[in-house]
Amino acid sequence: MAEAKPILMPKFGQTVEEATIVKWHKAVGDEVSKGDVLFEIETDKAVLESESFVDGTILKVLAGEGDTVQVQTPVAFIGAPGDDIPEVNAPPPPKPKAAEKSAAAPAAAAASAPLAATAAPTSVAVAQPVPAVPAAPTRRAISPRARSLARRKLIRTNSITGSGPSGRVTEKDVVAYLDANDYDSIHISPSAKKLAQKEELDIIEVRNRSGVLRLKIDDIRQAVLEKPNPMSKMRRVIAQRLTESFRDVPHFYVATEVDMTDLLAYRKQLKDSGTAFTVTDFIMEAVILTLKEFDVVNSSTDGTSVWWHSKVNLGLAVSIKNGLVVPVIRNAEDLTMSELHDVASELATKAREGKLTPDEMTGGTFTISNMGMLGVNDFNAIINPGEAAILAVASTKDKPVARDGKVVVRSMMNLRLSVDHRIVDGAVGAAFVNSVKDKLEDLELWKSSM
Amino acid sequence: MEKFDVAVIGAGPGGYPAAIRCAQLGKKVAIVEREFLGGTCLNVGCIPTKTLIASAELYQAISNASEMGLKVQGVEADYAAVTARKEQVVGQLTGGVRQLLKANKVTVLSGAAAFIDRKTLAITANDEASEKIHIQADKVIIATGSTSAMPGFIPKDERIVDSRAFLDMTELPTSLTVLGGGYIGCELACMAASFGVKVTIVELLDDVLLLLDKDIRAAVKKHMTEKLGIELMTGEAMSEVAVNDKGVAAKVGESTVESDILLVSVGRRPVTDGLELNNAGIEVNENGFIGVDDRNCTKVAGIYAIGDVNGIMMLAHAATSQGICAADDACGLRPDGNESIIPGVIFTSPEVALAGITEAEAKEKGLDVTTGKYYFRGLGKALASGEIEGFVKLITDSETDQLLGAQVVGPHATDLISEAVLAIRSELTAEELGQTIHAHPTFAEIWMEAAHAVHGKSIHLPPRRR
Repeated sequence: MAEAKPILMPKFGQTVEEATIVKWHKAVGDEVSKGDVLFEIETDKAVLESESFVDGTILKVLAGEGDTVQVQTPVAFIGAPGDDIPEVNAPPPPKPKAAEKSAAAPAAAAASAPLAATAAPTSVAVAQPVPAVPAAPTRRAISPRARSLARRKLIRTNSITGSGPSGRVTEKDVVAYLDANDYDSIHISPSAKKLAQKEELDIIEVRNRSGVLRLKIDDIRQAVLEKPNPMSKMRRVIAQRLTESFRDVPHFYVATEVDMTDLLAYRKQLKDSGTAFTVTDFIMEAVILTLKEFDVVNSSTDGTSVWWHSKVNLGLAVSIKNGLVVPVIRNAEDLTMSELHDVASELATKAREGKLTPDEMTGGTFTISNMGMLGVNDFNAIINPGEAAILAVASTKDKPVARDGKVVVRSMMNLRLSVDHRIVDGAVGAAFVNSVKDKLEDLELWKSSM
Repeated sequence: MEKFDVAVIGAGPGGYPAAIRCAQLGKKVAIVEREFLGGTCLNVGCIPTKTLIASAELYQAISNASEMGLKVQGVEADYAAVTARKEQVVGQLTGGVRQLLKANKVTVLSGAAAFIDRKTLAITANDEASEKIHIQADKVIIATGSTSAMPGFIPKDERIVDSRAFLDMTELPTSLTVLGGGYIGCELACMAASFGVKVTIVELLDDVLLLLDKDIRAAVKKHMTEKLGIELMTGEAMSEVAVNDKGVAAKVGESTVESDILLVSVGRRPVTDGLELNNAGIEVNENGFIGVDDRNCTKVAGIYAIGDVNGIMMLAHAATSQGICAADDACGLRPDGNESIIPGVIFTSPEVALAGITEAEAKEKGLDVTTGKYYFRGLGKALASGEIEGFVKLITDSETDQLLGAQVVGPHATDLISEAVLAIRSELTAEELGQTIHAHPTFAEIWMEAAHAVHGKSIHLPPRRR
């Protein structure tokens, strides 16, 4: 018999060490062909699909949905039905108790079915799952009778004070808690009760919030909607990084207004002659040129040291369904404007399709956040950790402005730079935005570079 | 000018309970009625129809008495006597309403009301000799009901009747065409057919009784066509109605249907004529109904509209419930609003009843539902009584097991539905309905079995094939 092939958790990038399986597209027994999507994973950077590199049948799945697994470790085995599943070096069994239990499994089954052999904890557990939610709250000491009563009464026990040894919650404590909360006054329709049970709601909480005499199914549905939901891994990473940046980096903002009238006309002219650039392309190019003039804006600091980056790795914030990603254009200063256009649009497409690799999202040295399509006048962007600045691009709007002592209507766009004030001084920031502005308003520059 | 706290216009099944409730709450109340106490329901609707149907059913039962081991000979329907009994029942009930109003010290004013302004009504008495009187009221409840709609292409003739004129007939025709396969048309068709009249129902839509689920409809139609010999013509428009000495000839699609009498029952329209609603600032919508909110308040403060005239649900018991809700609100209580679970009962042969949502509605709304069915032929009491036609169906939410709807076709369906209404309104689960002990042997046991059937656990059904 041939040996089944392991499917490894792929290594998506240099910095990714583990990933969470969010969805399996195939189950044990399913036939797969090369290129079929096996499962979806979520790293701290993105949700990605993992495809099969072989044809065969899924023989065993080692890591289920929600499990977090080290990269390059097996998560499943594929082969022909009846293939041997190889034994893999395993970490020590998690609990002696579990090992005993498996050892007690009928020996006959293990001998006749090769699959059963892998059920022993010593032969698998390669994809040692780590709990998806970090730092689960410590388990409460509670007596079985107390827990069963709480479950029957549809209440949670975390706000009950335990009177037993080392604060153990006893049945008496639950009864006292029910009395103190006027539990007997709660009336609930049977359907509502069933739903509350299923959704593990605390009906004292629901009663306190809704304040009705008899909880009906709509009250419970309301409470279900208001239930806290865990954030996706990506959202948690976004939250953590933005908090870190906003808390630890002293942001300084400086803004200017750019007259885009001539450039927009020139862009249209180019477009009509067959060369289509986006407004973002011009802004990226202007920013890259300006970064070469202001080294400090293209640097990083940890508060004690400064790193000067010789290359411009330009990040471009792209809003996607359920979040935001920042693909990075590496060595952007080496690209011609049309190369820049191509790379940027390719990365943006991959971002929207969720196909960016982690390497395509790391290593940025400066970021542009363009909300021009969203009808905003002005906004403050938060600096990406590890960078010294970010440029916020607002919408271009027709406005009355003064030109040569007369009021004329021009297409104006606001640029607002956020800088890490620890390393970038206000005057430098001001000079930077104005230099970007000057370039965008200088038609000769663009004509000469085309 | 006499002043009242509340004036109710219309003394039907919505108006008179509203008046009595206001009186119970200590208000000085007037009720204005231009025709008869008890309204359509008592006089020319629910009650007279059911009186005739009771006779028809008994006639059918006696005709089939041999199945129960009884030999009966010479049974004969005396339709004039049947209708005389109807008059007596109606008389007794309307007399009862009059006494109740009197006992509650409600002032009954006979005549037609018209708004002078939003707190003043002019009452024109029916006998022209009397003078017009004016009354004033802080709150006005409009409960003027509805009347049969008559399509424009139908000529006026004594051979062409609406449901009211049909009930007044003291002699049954030998043949009857019913235009409109709604519940009124089907009820009267079944009644007439039970007495041996040859009946044809013409319905423009694809089927009769479209408010019911298909399986329920199929069971009623089977009895109507096979046992009562009613002919159903659905999906066909009637056109060109001609009357001659022998009867009515109507073109239906390509064919012509001839009969002694044509009964038109194509729906009902609200009655607002003569009310001078604009003097109170009230407008009606494009279908003539007076729009109201969930507590039956019109857009004009202090004026309510209840029952058929507001178009929410044109059923007597809905009007009663709305009337009490409006009365409570007018008297300063703050009711929760109109009830949402309104049963529908249809006195066809066999009877049909429904409450909550149907399976078809659930599908339309994209709800994930489970159903449980049980047939009367599986019930001891049904077999004992010789009434084994039909079944019940429960519709539950698959996620919570909540009872969302119930339908019955079969014996005592219209009485049986009440238990389902209570269960649905109380948000009971099918499991709990099944756990509830139902006395044996009774027809009501069928709910328990159907509730178990939702989970595939009916004791008296073979296991579901997997």
